[in-house]
Amino acid sequence: MIISWNWLKDYLDLTASADEVVHRLAMSGLNHESTTPHGDDLAIDLEVTSNRPDCLGHLGIAREVAVLWRIPMKRPEARPPSSGPAVKSLAKVRIDCPELCSRYMARVIRGVKIAASPSWLANRLQTVGIQPVNNVVDISNYVMWECGQPLHTFDFGQLAGREIVVRQAVAGEEFLAIDHRTYRLEPGMCVIADRDRSVALGGVMGGATSEVAPGTTEILVEAASFSPLSVRTTARTLNLHSPSSYRFERGIDVDGIDWASRRCCELILELAGGELADGVLDVCRGERRLIQPIRLRLSQIPRVLGIEIDREEVRGTLIALGFTEIVNQPAGSANRRQPDMAADTLTFVPPSWRADVTREIDTIEEVARIHGYDAVPDNVPVPQFASQRTDQDRALSRIRRVVTAAGMLETVTASVVPREWTESFQPWSTSAAMHTLAPLLRGADALRQSLIPSLLSARRDNENAGNEGIELFETAKVYLPRPDRLPDEPWMLGMCSQRSFLELKGILETVLDQLRPGAQWCVRRASRQLLEPTRCVELQLDDRLCGYLGELDSAGRKRFDVQGATTVAELRLEVLTQTVTFVPQHTAVSHLPAIDRDLNLIVPEPTAWSDLARLITSEADSLLERIAYQETYRDPQRDGPDRKRVLLSLRFRGSQRTLTSDEVDACCASIVRACARDFQARLVQ
Amino acid sequence: MSLANFLVALDAFSTAATRAFESAGSAAQLDAARVEFLGARQGQVKSLQKGLGEVAPDQRREAGLKFNAAKEQVQAAYQAAELRIAQVTRPERADDLDVTLPGPRLVLGNLHPITQTIDELKDIMGRLGFSVVDGPEIEDEWHNFEALNIAPEHPARDPLDNFFLSTAAIGTRDVAADGQPPPHLDPLPHEARRKGGGPPESVVDIPAPRGVRGASPVGTVPRSLMLRSQTSTVQIRVMERTQPPIRIISLGRVYRPDDVDATHYPMFHQMEGLYVDRGVTMAHLKSVLHLFASSYLGSAVRIRFRPSFFPFTEPSVEADFEWNDGWVEFGGAGMVDPFVLQSVGYDPEVVTGFAFGLGVERLCMRRHGIRDIRDLFRNDVRFLRQFVQT
Repeated sequence: MIISWNWLKDYLDLTASADEVVHRLAMSGLNHESTTPHGDDLAIDLEVTSNRPDCLGHLGIAREVAVLWRIPMKRPEARPPSSGPAVKSLAKVRIDCPELCSRYMARVIRGVKIAASPSWLANRLQTVGIQPVNNVVDISNYVMWECGQPLHTFDFGQLAGREIVVRQAVAGEEFLAIDHRTYRLEPGMCVIADRDRSVALGGVMGGATSEVAPGTTEILVEAASFSPLSVRTTARTLNLHSPSSYRFERGIDVDGIDWASRRCCELILELAGGELADGVLDVCRGERRLIQPIRLRLSQIPRVLGIEIDREEVRGTLIALGFTEIVNQPAGSANRRQPDMAADTLTFVPPSWRADVTREIDTIEEVARIHGYDAVPDNVPVPQFASQRTDQDRALSRIRRVVTAAGMLETVTASVVPREWTESFQPWSTSAAMHTLAPLLRGADALRQSLIPSLLSARRDNENAGNEGIELFETAKVYLPRPDRLPDEPWMLGMCSQRSFLELKGILETVLDQLRPGAQWCVRRASRQLLEPTRCVELQLDDRLCGYLGELDSAGRKRFDVQGATTVAELRLEVLTQTVTFVPQHTAVSHLPAIDRDLNLIVPEPTAWSDLARLITSEADSLLERIAYQETYRDPQRDGPDRKRVLLSLRFRGSQRTLTSDEVDACCASIVRACARDFQARLVQ
Repeated sequence: MSLANFLVALDAFSTAATRAFESAGSAAQLDAARVEFLGARQGQVKSLQKGLGEVAPDQRREAGLKFNAAKEQVQAAYQAAELRIAQVTRPERADDLDVTLPGPRLVLGNLHPITQTIDELKDIMGRLGFSVVDGPEIEDEWHNFEALNIAPEHPARDPLDNFFLSTAAIGTRDVAADGQPPPHLDPLPHEARRKGGGPPESVVDIPAPRGVRGASPVGTVPRSLMLRSQTSTVQIRVMERTQPPIRIISLGRVYRPDDVDATHYPMFHQMEGLYVDRGVTMAHLKSVLHLFASSYLGSAVRIRFRPSFFPFTEPSVEADFEWNDGWVEFGGAGMVDPFVLQSVGYDPEVVTGFAFGLGVERLCMRRHGIRDIRDLFRNDVRFLRQFVQT
């Protein structure tokens, strides 16, 4: 909220400079945004948190300053002389919707002379950012900026039937606002109507038909309390935000309405002349907020703040803030039996403008912020506490280490993606993706079920930028719907590479090896949307599906507009992290010599390496230490069609004794026999 | 075939062929590569030539020129390889090695700067005794608002300020008139809750929340779902299933509607810290944040509190640290509001606690001198490569 420095000083005998004042206000709860010179005045912008509507007027800010400097604050009495007939004889007020408007106060002034405001008033309004209109409208704004209570002035002569009816809008009702635009209203919105039609939108905006204009001579001054929620909804729905709706949304001081109304009338009489009708139309339909006293145990102050604050300072601060101390405890209270407690306890009734203070802890905050948090030490001993890294974090950092060592770059992409992405690629779920009501980014309202489309989109953006070496990965959650529960949010590792299928598979295998050395995992051919059927596999670990790997087919490349070979893989991390070997266990290494043999086998084309390796391993039994794939050749002229040569290396080692060359040759021979038997393999001599 | 596709294929051909020729170690390997790429009958060059014929006539001239150039380049690579293999070189002498030649570099990847910042935060907070917990990003209104003392009329709950899901509310929360849920719905019987200290387990999924006397609404409450707007939700989930003492941090993605610009993005990351025990005071909060800021910035810094307002802490403050003769906003903090302690079943007369939260992006951008938040999410490899891991 912007305040005028000169205006603020009206209420205080202040010797401190503006800089000093804004600094201390910032340190007690009103953050300083900026100070801008405005003529001989300063426009000071202060941030008022949503719990402090009492500071949305100069008087509220002045009260804070008065408390900080422990000086008195001077508030105008606001006693306008009335000389006209009883207001009851001139106008009527009725509230039909107490849930939207709990109190409505009206005063009537006749014989005003509409003119431009005097320069002091116009200047002050301009300093706080309001354009002057005419003396009466300006005064209602001035009083709002003075005490925080929004006011509205009607051209009383334009109110049909000379009556005010506060009611809910009728569906489809049209309202011509002061900005001369027509708004279509809905039930739940609060309108101020005369006998025939709506003349204002309660708490939000005045209407064009009853606007105070140069010809106006009679004024009805409205000071009311509108429901915060309804004002907020109305302002939002119609996109009609005003300083008035801003204050009603945060809640106004119902007990301050009358002062605001009187103050407004006093200034109108002073600056626009006229005659105030006697009395006030005060319709109060809502339940009054009963302000409960709050017990403050002084021992709670160090318990929460870690510092002691002197009893007299506590009393002084709260009383200066407008709290009323209740000194005499009622007879028979607990305090008589426990005199120590009585000494520890103070009781206060908070002021009506502080609806945010209802509990002991709230009073502690009041005392603390005025005392200043600089007094809270920043070097007290904090008890020691053992902390552990979670398995999840340990596994994740190991995975990231391997994948970055493989030259891949980590990305962070948005969790919410275009619907087409989730529809065209659903590797983990058959349920439709969940959607947000509003898109996160343009066109993106589907909660992603896979990281791959996001990575492909990042790949395309990089290609379009002419970048090279686009090796991307991400570790993040995906969102899989479950009936009647929060969705499943498994962590995924997604990769998108320009490498070949086998190269990316090698990275994936390294990740698995690093998480669980020696783990039994296997791949099997699979089909996935947008992946080449001959180059797509699923990974199984402990008989659970833990991921897939594949090469994008031409439809996939077209769908995501990527050029060149694209391989992708996605691993479901929970399957891995549940069984990670975090602390590797030692196995003794043999010091006996090893014997190496290479085998070059001619096998029929469809023979899978994994089958061949499994057979060889089981045939060689415990003598075989390691089997390594070397190369595949094809020579149809010598080996015939549909045959391939698979070159592999074997390393043999005994666990107890040195193996002989004959033993190893015999083992190789039996391996070759088994391969011939099961795969029609032939050894190249 | 479009010109663009033809050129991509041509490029792939010349890269692969050149690489194959250069890496051939023997005459046989070189010949095999020659057949594969330049073979007159089935070499790739042949199929490319065919592709040339399919390029639209008006683009064929350009395609032809590019084709000839690529073919010449590949042939030159072949001849160079042939020469290299055929050449009977003299034995290499010890001083042949030009020690100023570049060695083959390893191509390393690296972590995203946000991950690196998060890792640093976890590391520092870990040393201060805070364990990491994870929680769901898709939340119900109870955990995102109600349990955090954010009442239905609070502006923070406005649908326009949150990402609610269009999915129908999932199930209902039956709460009896006394505020206690029926026993069959209470997922965590009291005995099952942890009694001792130590860090809580990571919280991945927790079923329906427990009703709490005096705090939760009465009746049957549909749980509409939303993307969480703050990581404070994890506080609630941890406290619901763990007895004090609790010293945790939670980090992760949060979502708030915002127009995208240099400092705003509708998805960002937060770190939230929580310490609940007997005797925790604001002095502990200030001391922990002081230690944290000094660790993060590498030298002892001053820290200050300014009063602020958050529904789930009371008193609430903004914490600043002093940096280059100015104060830098660091995050929000405060003492856990007694209402929040009550709503998870703690007695605020017995325990107190503090909580703090800060935006990861802001720390990350300050740390690395990044000016535009959008750069963090564009994932341009030239950007990503800059953040060599520390």
